[in-house]
Amino acid sequence: MQLNATCTIDRVKYYNKLGAAASLQTPHTGPSKTNAAPAVQKTKAIRYKSALQYLIKAIITFGVKNKLLLQMKIIIALLFIGFMQVHASTSAQNITINQRNASIEKILAEVKLQTGYLFVYNQEWMKLAQKVDINVKNVPLKSVLDISFANQPLTYSIVNKTIIVQLKKQPVASYAALVNVEVSGQVKDEKGVPLPGVTVMVKGTQIGRQTDVNGKFALSVPERSVLVFSMISYKTIEIGIDGKHVFNVTLEESKSQLNEVVVSGYTTQNRSEFTGSSAHISGNQLAERPVTSFDQALSGQAPGIKLTSSSGSLNSPPVFRIRGTNSITSSAYPLIIIDGVQAFTGNVGNSAENNPLSSINPDDIESIEVLKDASATAIYGSRGTDGVVVITTKRGKAGKMKINYDTYFGMQKKPKLPELLNAADYVNIKNESLANNGTDPAFFLQKNPDGSNVETNWYDYIYQTGHSQNHNLSLSGGMGDTHYFFSAAYTNQTGFLVKNTFERGGTRFNFDTKLTNNITVGANVAYTDALNNNLTSGFNNAFGLNNLVRESMVLSPNLSPFNADGSYNISGSGIGYGANTILTGYYNPLPQLQHDKFTSESKSLLGNMFLEWEFVKNLKAKVNYSLNDLNTVNMGFSNPYQAGGYATNGSATNTNGLNRRTDILGQLTYSGTIAGKHHISALAAYEDIYSLASSWGVTKTNLTDRYYETFFGAYSTVSGSSSSYGENGLRSYFGNLNYDYDRKYLLSASFRRDGYSALASKWGNFPGVSIGWNLSDEEFFKNSSLGKTFSVVKLRASYGQTGNISGVSNYASSSLYASGVYGGVASLSTSQIGNADLKWETSKKTDVGINIGLWNNRIILDADYFNNADDGLILNVPQAASKGIPNNTLTENIGTMYNRGFEFNIDAHIMDHTKFKWRANFNISTLKNKVTSLAPGVNDIWTSSLETSNITRVGLPVGVMYVVKTTGVNPANGLRTYLNKAGQTVQYSPVTGQWTHLDGSAASALDAYADGVVMGTTLPTYYGGFNNNFSYANLDLAINLTYSGGNQIYNGTKATLLDNRFFNNETLILQRWTHPGQITDIPALHYNDQQASGSVLPNSFNVEDDSYLKLSYVSLGYRFPPKYFTKLHISSMRLYAAASNFILYTKYTGSDPEISANADSNTAAGRDKNSVPAGKTFVLGLNVGF
Amino acid sequence: MAMKKTNTYNQIILRGSMLCVMMFSALSCKKNILDPTIITSISDKSAFDTPDRILAQVNGLYSTMKSGQFYGGRLIIYNELRADEFIMNKPNIVTGQQTWSQSVNSGTSEVNGLWSAGYATINTVNTFLAGIELNKSKLSTTLYDNYSAEAKFIRALCYFALVQTYCQPYAKDQGASLGLPLRLLPETSSANNLLARSSVAQIYTQIISDLNAAEAGLPASYATASLNTTRASVNTAIALKTRVYLVMNRYADVITEAAKIVSDTAPYQATTGVASKMETNVATVFGGSYVGLEAMLSMPFTPTETPGTQNQLAYYFNISPGNGEFYLNASGIIADPVYATASTDARKGFVFTNTGQKWLSKYKVASTYSDYVPVIRYPEVLLNYAEALARAGDPVSMAKAVSLVSAVRTRSDPGYVFPSAGISTPDALIATIQTEKRIEFLGEGFRVPDLQRTLQTLPTKTAASGTAPAVAPAENKYIWPIPANETSINTLCVPNPS
Repeated sequence: MQLNATCTIDRVKYYNKLGAAASLQTPHTGPSKTNAAPAVQKTKAIRYKSALQYLIKAIITFGVKNKLLLQMKIIIALLFIGFMQVHASTSAQNITINQRNASIEKILAEVKLQTGYLFVYNQEWMKLAQKVDINVKNVPLKSVLDISFANQPLTYSIVNKTIIVQLKKQPVASYAALVNVEVSGQVKDEKGVPLPGVTVMVKGTQIGRQTDVNGKFALSVPERSVLVFSMISYKTIEIGIDGKHVFNVTLEESKSQLNEVVVSGYTTQNRSEFTGSSAHISGNQLAERPVTSFDQALSGQAPGIKLTSSSGSLNSPPVFRIRGTNSITSSAYPLIIIDGVQAFTGNVGNSAENNPLSSINPDDIESIEVLKDASATAIYGSRGTDGVVVITTKRGKAGKMKINYDTYFGMQKKPKLPELLNAADYVNIKNESLANNGTDPAFFLQKNPDGSNVETNWYDYIYQTGHSQNHNLSLSGGMGDTHYFFSAAYTNQTGFLVKNTFERGGTRFNFDTKLTNNITVGANVAYTDALNNNLTSGFNNAFGLNNLVRESMVLSPNLSPFNADGSYNISGSGIGYGANTILTGYYNPLPQLQHDKFTSESKSLLGNMFLEWEFVKNLKAKVNYSLNDLNTVNMGFSNPYQAGGYATNGSATNTNGLNRRTDILGQLTYSGTIAGKHHISALAAYEDIYSLASSWGVTKTNLTDRYYETFFGAYSTVSGSSSSYGENGLRSYFGNLNYDYDRKYLLSASFRRDGYSALASKWGNFPGVSIGWNLSDEEFFKNSSLGKTFSVVKLRASYGQTGNISGVSNYASSSLYASGVYGGVASLSTSQIGNADLKWETSKKTDVGINIGLWNNRIILDADYFNNADDGLILNVPQAASKGIPNNTLTENIGTMYNRGFEFNIDAHIMDHTKFKWRANFNISTLKNKVTSLAPGVNDIWTSSLETSNITRVGLPVGVMYVVKTTGVNPANGLRTYLNKAGQTVQYSPVTGQWTHLDGSAASALDAYADGVVMGTTLPTYYGGFNNNFSYANLDLAINLTYSGGNQIYNGTKATLLDNRFFNNETLILQRWTHPGQITDIPALHYNDQQASGSVLPNSFNVEDDSYLKLSYVSLGYRFPPKYFTKLHISSMRLYAAASNFILYTKYTGSDPEISANADSNTAAGRDKNSVPAGKTFVLGLNVGF
Repeated sequence: MAMKKTNTYNQIILRGSMLCVMMFSALSCKKNILDPTIITSISDKSAFDTPDRILAQVNGLYSTMKSGQFYGGRLIIYNELRADEFIMNKPNIVTGQQTWSQSVNSGTSEVNGLWSAGYATINTVNTFLAGIELNKSKLSTTLYDNYSAEAKFIRALCYFALVQTYCQPYAKDQGASLGLPLRLLPETSSANNLLARSSVAQIYTQIISDLNAAEAGLPASYATASLNTTRASVNTAIALKTRVYLVMNRYADVITEAAKIVSDTAPYQATTGVASKMETNVATVFGGSYVGLEAMLSMPFTPTETPGTQNQLAYYFNISPGNGEFYLNASGIIADPVYATASTDARKGFVFTNTGQKWLSKYKVASTYSDYVPVIRYPEVLLNYAEALARAGDPVSMAKAVSLVSAVRTRSDPGYVFPSAGISTPDALIATIQTEKRIEFLGEGFRVPDLQRTLQTLPTKTAASGTAPAVAPAENKYIWPIPANETSINTLCVPNPS
């Protein structure tokens, strides 16, 4: 044992080779030239952190439960320690030393010289030590020792001016890295399919490689090191070598969002460095659902997104909202980006609904990223307000060709339908209502030739059990630097509505290759043909006389569709009398069902080609051209016997629509690391998006022969043609910058400047900024006891501004005259008064969030608070009608509104045994929407239309329920009683047509607007999903629940079903008032009365709670062990059965609380009226991999 | 060494220029996408550029008025439905159920739609008048005068329709009641929402003023029969004045105006301007696209120029072709002997039986239901003239009045002589004239205005499917409420009591 002395120094500068080894990815090129002051700070920081460890421990010992409180305490502690350090550093004994590549002994000798301290150490141990570079000036002894012993296998302690050097008890991995061992193995996915392209790295080093086509790897690695297996969309796992040489590893697909890449459409970023708010949905969560477009399957999959079905017809577009309704008159539907190309959305069909998103084969989707806050969406500038859904299609992966075949067969059952009266009850009820009017009976049971009563269940004619089949074949792989993905798919679905079908065939080819070392080119091309076929259902057509859903409810059950001779039972343009003496005036639907045909066919070509050139290391230039062509041909034939074609003796209309969007993008990206720990990625880009929509069509009427049943038959009149044309352009300059220091301190900023042709003030600026802190990456945190529990703690905040132009018509800022004819000569009249100041709607979005991973990410919690403050909303500001302005509105940027809420998401691996696994996701979002201002002097947006049950009023959520208040049914006379605006109870007698007070004195007529009252919001205030995946051996079970609530819905269908016209009624009407003193909520019947039911004056009787809990999807699968098929070259096979859309809980009395009869309307949500909700589906499917 | 350096420079230049080409190709290949040319409409900036375009705008004023929500259909329909000639066959709130059953409120779409359509026309007129004022140089003085006069004529027609629908009858208090917001200037911005109602009298003053200006500026006639029917000439303005003055009970003025366009002796016809006169056969008046001398103003429709769904007269009142929405009230005017089996009156031919009910067949063009909609027919002038003379009561006037009403009657029933009881006293004669008007103008939208100008109750009526109450002049329901889409914004506009 030897004793050595130490001494004082006054300048510090160091470079520790071992320290550098820990960050091999970013090797230092030489000693840094840090000057004194920062160096001192650095040493301070070291202490401050170790002090903090104790502090955190102390806090934990006190059992702080409140995380927020904990954060605050940490912050206070940091400030406090900062002050303490100032004192500590001035009282230390200081040393100056400058040595390069010196042995530890040499440094200790120098220290001894300057301080007079003695050293105790074992000479043998010193051989294990690394050489040290140190250059410090006037720093405390402890700092010099810390620097010298950092990353050494040795440690020291000071006892009475004696420094004792000892071996560390647990040598660190980097120390042991001197001895290499050979390891090898294979990586497979959960299905047992080898995974090529998995990165296998030695933790903390740059040693590593990717698995080959068979998922195999071989590496020479330091003994006792840790292997990290990672791949996008799989859970990263770490395995210690621990003397093993062969590693057979299974990677689980990651539903935990913390390890993935966030694809924004322009850039990608690691989730751990991402500071925005977005949700990731994996494509295979959608592929097995029997839906026509992917959006229908998103319900409950992630927080912040809300999907509401608008109809049970196949391919009707759902209502899709991200973080609330962020516009009043513009669209609140999110921007959908598919491989960088903006998709068309909405409905492009005729009676046959056609959601253009159905042109994307759900099987082709690799992942969906839902961007929610400004940090994530500001890069989309003026299109980002409603949120952005970025869809990435599948690409080939390195390795030999993989062939997958997926198929399912299914059936679709109609939803629960209202229970209607039978013929006998119908006749009684209607005659009672006539009698109450003082009129003779007019309804009678009709007899069949065999003497039985005619008893028609009209449901039987329009509903059926549908079926579906889906086939999807994909080939993918990679050869060298070339990757390819090819798929062909065919879907054929028949709905539960008669003649409602959807047929889609399509192919996709995605390809990329490296031309040279630094030039990559690629292309994605998808062509899809989708044919939609539907008769007129209730989608956006609640009051259509030809709405079959409505017809099937209201038509008299005592009428037969056919006469005894088999001909249609018709009288003029409606169904015949039968035994009744009153004509209904409504159509006999059978001619429609048997002869009408409406189709909407889309041919979609969606393609792009790009070239990316890394012309300087880390600096890439990319040019991308994309084309999105959507051609639709809508054909309709209306029969000459009844309904739409009756008056014209048959009519047919064909319309051809072309939607085209081209997009040219040029961008420069830089991604690199500066000085080891400063990671920077930056983007500067230019984009031109040009959109064109045109259509033309012809109507032919008056069939020359009823043999013809298509447009191509012979008609005597070409009765009209229509055309439209519109184009717009969006020109943008944008960029973003992501910076992080050591992946701990994160900063992201983006900016977009957009010019849009339709606006008067064409240019708008959209900045976004966000910050984040990966607290869990801090050494002090890792080393604290919290670090063991909390594997990830990330705090983040963002603020930014986005715009909204969807819904602004192409020439909205211009004042226009439209040409027409008057008496055959040219006419020209005002058609639009434009706003010469029209500009962007803006949404100022704030988001504060935290991501927490517990117990090695077995549980991941995400929480966000968001506030979207929308202003400059483009309102069609109601103008006094007497001003005579077209549509009585002027478009102005004037309203303000906010959407605020919390989002919580929990992903948990509840059970993780080898055989039995249970993963669960629970998410909940809250929403508070409030309109804070409309135009000056405008407090309300209330537009009179049929059954208006919404109002948009300042201080309330957009489109709140607004109806007159009913107080029930007057037991004395059976009349419905209402509260008028003066608070008086009034009643309406359909017999006298008079409004009276309860004492019989005359009262003012109730007015829907003046006497209406706000009942509540139509927007759900909370919603979410609870998704469970179980697996046991080869069995897997998925159970997805969705829920929503806190809002109201207007059950307009109930108004239809209690209508006192000839309409058939629901059985509820049997509880009607019949005698004085009777207490009931169904008023006395008066034939033809539409007031009591709420049809002409919507009343609160039809307002219901819209809360529900649904079993949205359940599937049970079995994976056959691969050994059965090895000879067949089948690598995997899975069989599954699934069912969807079972309502578990609701107070709603209608068919389904999840319905929006007004489709995508922002101001008239929460309405069920004469449309049919989604049905139940069952499928049996098979996935085969070759 | 130098060589190496040159290579490096070459590399930089090569890479730089390739990058430039790449970026430039991306940036430059599109025309200026921010200023697309509008190829489907004409900008307001060029709407007055040529005389042809200005003429097209004049036609545009008529076509705006011709909206199916207004003179092109629903105005006529509402003026029948609120009265007693028609019975609802198909209760449908889209096709006037509430109007028929007297149960509209300020939010009812009929109430909002008619008001909006009327004022839309008024603003189009006001905008046009301001526009030609600025572009006077592009027109001859004559054309400028003609066009201004046509615009004012149309404005008068619009205010007249609105004041009759939404305001108390002039006769009630000589126009002292609340009238309409009187808009005479173009509205193209969000300003000026607030405007109080002028009195009924003030509205009538404006109507008369516009009609006087129209009479002064309108051409005597047009080049074609079609134009004479579809655009206003001097005689059209005069004819309308007889209607307006009749409503205002200014019978002397009715006589003065009527005398300008009714010859002193039968056969009555206009002696100046368009030679307006009755057709020999009333059936030809409703031939579908009628442009003869009887039609002083009609709204033209063709299969490509249609009134729009559920606005068409034939759709409402006819059942073959038509949708059979309203049949004739058996106790209405068709109870008159004119429609009896024994009658030889040609107008009986407009009524037929189907599904057990009587239907009106004046409008009968099959879908697209493009019957012309009559606005002013010459016999109305004769009957207005006759009523004013009858109200004068002196024997000479009485005799002329009888002659005029007989002219209308005998056109359809040549041998007919009115029984003396019906023509001997002024009151009896007035009643006879009014009955004749009901017969002659059945389904043409005169019934409600005629009931209201004489302050009569809107009669009750009963359908199999419901009843409509009688509405006395004192009741709030006697006139329509000011629509909510006005009062909710224009808070100075006082609602009608409900």
